[in-house]
Amino acid sequence: MSPRYFGTITACIALLLTAAAADPPAADVQHVPPSQALAILGHKVADPEGKDIGRLIDVLVDLNSQPQAAVIDFGGFMGVGSRKIAVQWAALHFAPDDAKHPITLNLTPDQIKTAPEYKDVARPAPVVVATPPVNDTPAIPASSPKP
Amino acid sequence: MPRDGTLPARSPRALDLLNFFVADVQTGFGPFVAVYLTTHKWTQVQIGFALTLGTVVAMISQIPAGALVDAAHNKRMVASGALIAVIVAALLLAIQPTILPVMTAQVLHAFASCVLTPAIAAISLHLVGHAALGERLGRNARFASIGNGLAAAVMGATGTYLSSRAVFLLTAALCVPALISLLAIGRGQHARRQTTVGAFDWSGLRLLFSDRRLLAFAVCVMLFHLSNAAMLPLVGATVTMRAGHIANMIIAACIVLPQAVVAVCSPWVGRSATLIGRRPVLLLGWATLPLRGLLLAILPGPWLPIGAQALGGISAAVFGVMFPLLAADITRGTSHFNLCMGALGLAMCLGAALSTTLGGWIADVAGVQVAFVCLGLIGLLATLVLWLVMPETRRE
Repeated sequence: MSPRYFGTITACIALLLTAAAADPPAADVQHVPPSQALAILGHKVADPEGKDIGRLIDVLVDLNSQPQAAVIDFGGFMGVGSRKIAVQWAALHFAPDDAKHPITLNLTPDQIKTAPEYKDVARPAPVVVATPPVNDTPAIPASSPKP
Repeated sequence: MPRDGTLPARSPRALDLLNFFVADVQTGFGPFVAVYLTTHKWTQVQIGFALTLGTVVAMISQIPAGALVDAAHNKRMVASGALIAVIVAALLLAIQPTILPVMTAQVLHAFASCVLTPAIAAISLHLVGHAALGERLGRNARFASIGNGLAAAVMGATGTYLSSRAVFLLTAALCVPALISLLAIGRGQHARRQTTVGAFDWSGLRLLFSDRRLLAFAVCVMLFHLSNAAMLPLVGATVTMRAGHIANMIIAACIVLPQAVVAVCSPWVGRSATLIGRRPVLLLGWATLPLRGLLLAILPGPWLPIGAQALGGISAAVFGVMFPLLAADITRGTSHFNLCMGALGLAMCLGAALSTTLGGWIADVAGVQVAFVCLGLIGLLATLVLWLVMPETRRE
C-alpha cells in the first residue's frame, strides 16, 4: 500500500475505485462534501450523553451491500481492558455535520458490559442488539439506507 | 570493586532521575501505538503486524544488544545512543504514521529498549560496585516505578484530552531530561572490567551459558512471566464485563497502585537481599504469584481485584530488583553482565508472550476463573523450581 494514500478510507475510495475501473468515456465524478458523508473508520464514538466510549474500527456488510453491524473498540486504560464489540448498525446514529460527536451509539457502556467480545472473523459475530429495538431512524436497513 | 573515585557526588541523584525519566519514556510507547494507529485509519491486521514486529525484534535483539553493551567501553554512550533512537522512533510515529516510518519506529524502539535496560544496570553496577548493588537497584526500581505511575496518569490524560500524537511528542520530549541525567552521572572511566576484550569471547560465553545458576534462574524468570503477564489483561477483561462505565477507573487503579507498592517496597527488597540473602527475597516475590492467582479467581465484584493487583506490586518489586542483581551475582568477575541480562530478558519475553496467549485461550475455553487458577498454578510451579533448584548467589 502506498503510504501517501494510506489513511483515506472513505466514501472517496469508492469514488476513486469507480473512476479507476471505468472504461472511457470517463465516469462522472461527484463531489460529496464532508458535511454529507463521513469517514468513519477510526472515528470516536460517543454514548447518548456525549461521552466518548470508543472508536469505530470495522463494519460488517451483508449480501445486499447493507451494513449490518459496526465493530467498536472500547479502549480501556493504557490498552488494558480494551475490547472489540460488534453492535447493531441501527444502534448507531451518524451526524456528519456535527463536529463534536458525529457518531453516537445509542447504548451505554453498562448495557454492553456483558456482551461477548468480537474476536474471530470466521465465526458468527456476536452483535449487540438494542432492547427495545432502536427506531429513531427507519430500522430496516434494506429498505431505507442511512444517508 | 570497579569504582574508580572519579565520579562526582551528584551521580546517585542523577541515576535516580535517569531511572525516573526512562520509565516515563517507556510508558508512553507501548499502549498508545494501537490507539494512535487506529485513529489514523490503520486496519486491525496492520496494527497487529506492527505490534508483533516490535515484540519479535525485542525478543531476538535481547542477547545481541547485551553483547553490544558488554563490548562498549563507555556504557553511557551506548545508553545515549539508545535514547536518541527512542526520540527518533517517537518523532517518526508522531510525524508520519504511515507503514514504513511506523515499522522503522517499532524496530528502533524495540532494539533501543533492549540496550537501555542492561546499560542502566551496568552503569549502576559501575557506580556502586557489587557490595552496594542491592541497595542501588532498590532505588532504581523505586524511581522507575514512580516514573511509570506518574507517566501512566499523565499520558493517559494526554491521550484522552489532547491526542495520541501528543503522547508521542511528550515521549520524545521526556528523552531530553533523560539524556541530561545520563550525562550528569559523570564521566568516570567506564567499567574497564565490565568490558569484553575481543569481539567474541567464546570461552567466557561457554562458561556463562553452562552456569547452572543462570539456567536455573532463566527457567524461574520464564515461569514467573508465564504466570504473571496475563493476569493484568485478564483482570482488565473481567472488570470491563463487571463494571461498565467505571471500568477504566478501576483498571487505572489496577495499573497505578502496584507501581506505588513497588515504589514503597523496592529499597527494602534491595536491602534485604544484601542483608539476609537472595533466596528468601526471591521466594517471597515468587510466592505471591500463586496467592494472587487464587485471589483473582475467588474475589467477587469489580473493586476487590485492585487489592490482588496491589499484591502484584510486591512480586514486581522483587523481580525488578533481583533480576539485575542476580545477573550481577552470576557474572561477578567476568565481563558478561549485559549478555546475562539479555539472556534473562529473553526468558522474560518468551514467558510473557506465551502467557497472554495461554491465558486468553484458557479464559475462552474454560472461563476466566479457571485461567486465573492455571496462572496461579504456574506461579506455584515457578516458586517450587526456585526453591528446589536455585542456589544462593550472595557472596560474603
